[in-house]
Amino acid sequence: MLTVAGLGRRELAARLRGPGLRLQTGPFVTCVQSPLAPLAESLAAMYADYPVLEEGSLADFHVRLSGSNGLRRLLRPQVHFHYDGMAPFQPLPLNQAFPMFEWAMNWCVSSQANSWLVIHAAVIEKGGVAAILPAPPGSGKSTLCAALVNRGWRLLSDELTLVRLDDGRVDPLPRPVSLKNASIGIMRGYAPDAAFTRPVADTVKGTVAHMRASSESVARAWQAAAPAWIVFPKWEAGAPAELTSVPQARAHMRLAENAFNYSLLGKAGFHAVARLVDAVDTFDFRYSVLDEAIAVFEQLLLERA
Amino acid sequence: MSRSPIWRLVPGQRLDHRCHDGECVLFNDLTGDTHLLEQAVLDLLDALRTAPRAAAELAGDDGAPESDPDVLGELDEVLADLAALSLVEVAPC
Repeated sequence: MLTVAGLGRRELAARLRGPGLRLQTGPFVTCVQSPLAPLAESLAAMYADYPVLEEGSLADFHVRLSGSNGLRRLLRPQVHFHYDGMAPFQPLPLNQAFPMFEWAMNWCVSSQANSWLVIHAAVIEKGGVAAILPAPPGSGKSTLCAALVNRGWRLLSDELTLVRLDDGRVDPLPRPVSLKNASIGIMRGYAPDAAFTRPVADTVKGTVAHMRASSESVARAWQAAAPAWIVFPKWEAGAPAELTSVPQARAHMRLAENAFNYSLLGKAGFHAVARLVDAVDTFDFRYSVLDEAIAVFEQLLLERA
Repeated sequence: MSRSPIWRLVPGQRLDHRCHDGECVLFNDLTGDTHLLEQAVLDLLDALRTAPRAAAELAGDDGAPESDPDVLGELDEVLADLAALSLVEVAPC
């Protein structure tokens, strides 16, 4: 299987500048075109283990990230995102090319992948069962997810949980974990062997950096998992790590609020969430110390066994 | 003296729902919304699916005195709320 690392830097750059890099992430193939050298560098660092398809292979998404023309190239240069020839977002400063790529990839999936129920949630797996962590930005979801995947849990996704409509299993979509502001330093200290992008300041989300997904999680991206828990996490200074049961009907409503395409799917969305809630235990989770939080997840796993 | 309105389930509602420990989620076939309801409200909708009824009859179904003004007032409020959600409506004469 050809991977991004296997292509070599020169061929990677050539494909990005030319016909496009057919990059496989989970069930999706994205054709990425870009002449931007910094983006190629970040892709080489963050996506080294990912499969690459041959030129001409069918792609689910066609994206292009390009630089500015004219004077803009010299004065506050920007990166422009194009999807199927359209420009759905405002351009960003050029140094935000990789964060923009990641946000754009999330947008492609959350707005197009309607063969799944797509929940704004991290999802991790151990022992064949998955914990889904839905939460709004700022709740500590990605930090908790990053900590768990550095302590033996498999990353399925830090942002988009793909629930199959036919059998309720979760398809992995492992991609770099997005960290913001204080989480970046915390995670660098917590996982010193992990690979991170250089932090980019002054984005709409503050300072952001990405942590590379483990080679194992990328290699096992075809292995779906059965959901066992839905945990709504919330980081709170000084809080002991504590789970509180969430009544199932209320969990259904909260999941619906966190799903990108719940309304669009109509009755299929209702049944997908209903089946998910029937199959799992549902909790609110407050935590402040990562090791304590991980111990709680290990205990959940033990109790299930 | 005007007759009490007869309430019915809005045609097209299938009452697809899940109940857990006294709370239910219900899919609204006409709006696509999902509602969080108490089990008793779901039971009321189920009763209207069986046959259109006046509020007093619904109160009787629930074992309450049919003429209790407090019960009837509360039922009227619930029915008005459900009508606003396009779940029930007054049956045409």
